[in-house]
Amino acid sequence: MTVLQLKDVEKTFGSGRKKVEALKKTNFSAERGEFTAIIGPSGSGKSTLLTIIGGLLTPSDGSVNVNGENVTNLKEKERSHIRLREIGFILQASNLVPFLTVADQLRLLDKVKKGNMNKEQLEELYNDLGIADLREKHPSDLSGGERQRVAIAKALYSNPSIILADEPTASLDSDRAYEVMELLKNETKNKQTTTIIVTHDVRLVGYCDKVYRMVDGVLTEEKREINN
Amino acid sequence: MFLALNEIKKNKLRFALVIGVLMLVSYLVFFLSGLATGLQDMNRESIDKWDSTHMVLTEESDKSLFESSMSIDDKEDVDAADVAILGQVNAIARSDDQKANVSIFGIDENEFIMPNVTEGEAFSADNEVIAGDGLKDDGFVLGDEIQLSSSEEVLTIVGFTDHARFSAAPVLYGDVDTFHRAKFGEAADQNEDHINAFVIRSNGESVNVENDSLEVIETETFIKNLPGYTEQNLTLTFMIYFLFVVSAVIVAIFLYVLTVQKISMFGVMKAQGISNGYLSRSVVAQTFILASVGVMIGFILAFITGVFLPSAVPVSFDYITMLFYGIVLIVVAILGAVFSVLTIIRIDPLEAIGG
Ligand SMILES: Nc1ncnc2c1ncn2[C@@H]1O[C@H](COP(=O)(O)OP(=O)(O)OP(=O)(O)O)[C@@H](O)[C@H]1O
Ligand SMILES: [Mg+2]
Repeated sequence: MTVLQLKDVEKTFGSGRKKVEALKKTNFSAERGEFTAIIGPSGSGKSTLLTIIGGLLTPSDGSVNVNGENVTNLKEKERSHIRLREIGFILQASNLVPFLTVADQLRLLDKVKKGNMNKEQLEELYNDLGIADLREKHPSDLSGGERQRVAIAKALYSNPSIILADEPTASLDSDRAYEVMELLKNETKNKQTTTIIVTHDVRLVGYCDKVYRMVDGVLTEEKREINN
Repeated sequence: MFLALNEIKKNKLRFALVIGVLMLVSYLVFFLSGLATGLQDMNRESIDKWDSTHMVLTEESDKSLFESSMSIDDKEDVDAADVAILGQVNAIARSDDQKANVSIFGIDENEFIMPNVTEGEAFSADNEVIAGDGLKDDGFVLGDEIQLSSSEEVLTIVGFTDHARFSAAPVLYGDVDTFHRAKFGEAADQNEDHINAFVIRSNGESVNVENDSLEVIETETFIKNLPGYTEQNLTLTFMIYFLFVVSAVIVAIFLYVLTVQKISMFGVMKAQGISNGYLSRSVVAQTFILASVGVMIGFILAFITGVFLPSAVPVSFDYITMLFYGIVLIVVAILGAVFSVLTIIRIDPLEAIGG
């Protein structure tokens, strides 16, 4: 089942001499239970694509469909609602609330939304991410890698149908990076989520079902001779 | 509430400062309101005690009790349920070392403005008076013989009554003859019909006077025209209202600065799909908590100060007014949070999270 569909999506920033074509005419779709990677050089438009998918940015042209619903021209309030219900963001910048403990970061989601993980699933998530001992700590007391893992926990906790991750492993050592990829893969397969990650690290794409390469705003699918 | 409380818990010092400032402002508001009430009481409590509705003065007195002069016989011209005669003169009372400004009221002991006696007994003979217990603060006691500045007469305090101050001076209640002697001395006999006003207690019916030189005014109007009364009130009320503005501005600035510091955090939460409504409510809830705590402490401090203040300082707390001012302070603080709410609504989640 196609969960995500982008048709002829374009994004330009600015105008005149300052005009940047961050995303040229792009078609893209993703299925349930599909783990997709987007790789490409810095400034090529990967984050732009991901934020358009996540409804944080409206495309200059084209349409975005989520679960069959055209979300391109929805009002911010409705898009915010879709983000809360459907999407788990793992952001390039740390996305933690500074004054909440790790456990409270997740509890906040219980305040605004139902259908989050139950206690057992949460324990498992804590253990998989290796952050079980950190739950009473505040973000300022965590290392960059720990913060990243808490951010991942936060994204997965709400049982999203779409997981969008922008460089989720950037601040992790390679063992941790592999573990996180493993975790995202399992999540994708077990819960049949649609997962899209952006990464620089080509070694990680082995975990993914599909790989796209972004160059200068042009997205092309990679032929899969790299992996099994 | 969840976000609001957790943030306060994590940043105690920061929010203690906000609470501290609100506390000081509300302390000042409560104290000024106590002062306003206290000063009002000094001017009017004897009149309030009568529970009257109207006063009859002469037209040409321009609502001044002192300037008004009429005859006891004019009472026939006044058509009202309850009418009491009132003579009044200011004097300086002296007894041994004690000295005080007083207001002498000449009344008829059978009429409704006759005061209760809290200590001693009522006046029954010439030159006996019931004194307002404020005089005790000046060192006067039961049985004191009082010399007056205005005449050679000597008055004797035979009783005390409570709530008896008029135009900031304690009242001495005596019969009309005593009043005449205090006011006119030797000439008392020539003025035996003189009084200053009629005090009226009507049970809702209108009050009529069949005498063109007399004027009926409502008690409240009479009080407002007491020398300095309205001016004093306006000054204090203005200060209180100004403090409301000050507290709104302080809260607005504090919260705005705190909000601006948290823009990226709010952006991240919005990216996650947490609604403007939830975040705004959380800021308002936080303001409510801070303001309530600040106002509460301010109130307690004002109350404690009131207890320890010497009785000469005219502070008296009217709890209904204070409750009202407290609520206004909280509401005004929440208005101050509106800027922050607007800021939050305008935050673009994308800007906050970077790419
Ligand atoms: N808000 C913006 N205004 C103007 N230009 C922008 C804006 N956001 C992105 N761009 C430009 O669009 C292009 C694509 O940016 P994008 O953030 O998508 O790159 P990226 O592939 O995610 O890079 P990186 O790997 O460094 O994160 C860049 O040239 C960038 O400068
Ligand atoms: Mg990027």
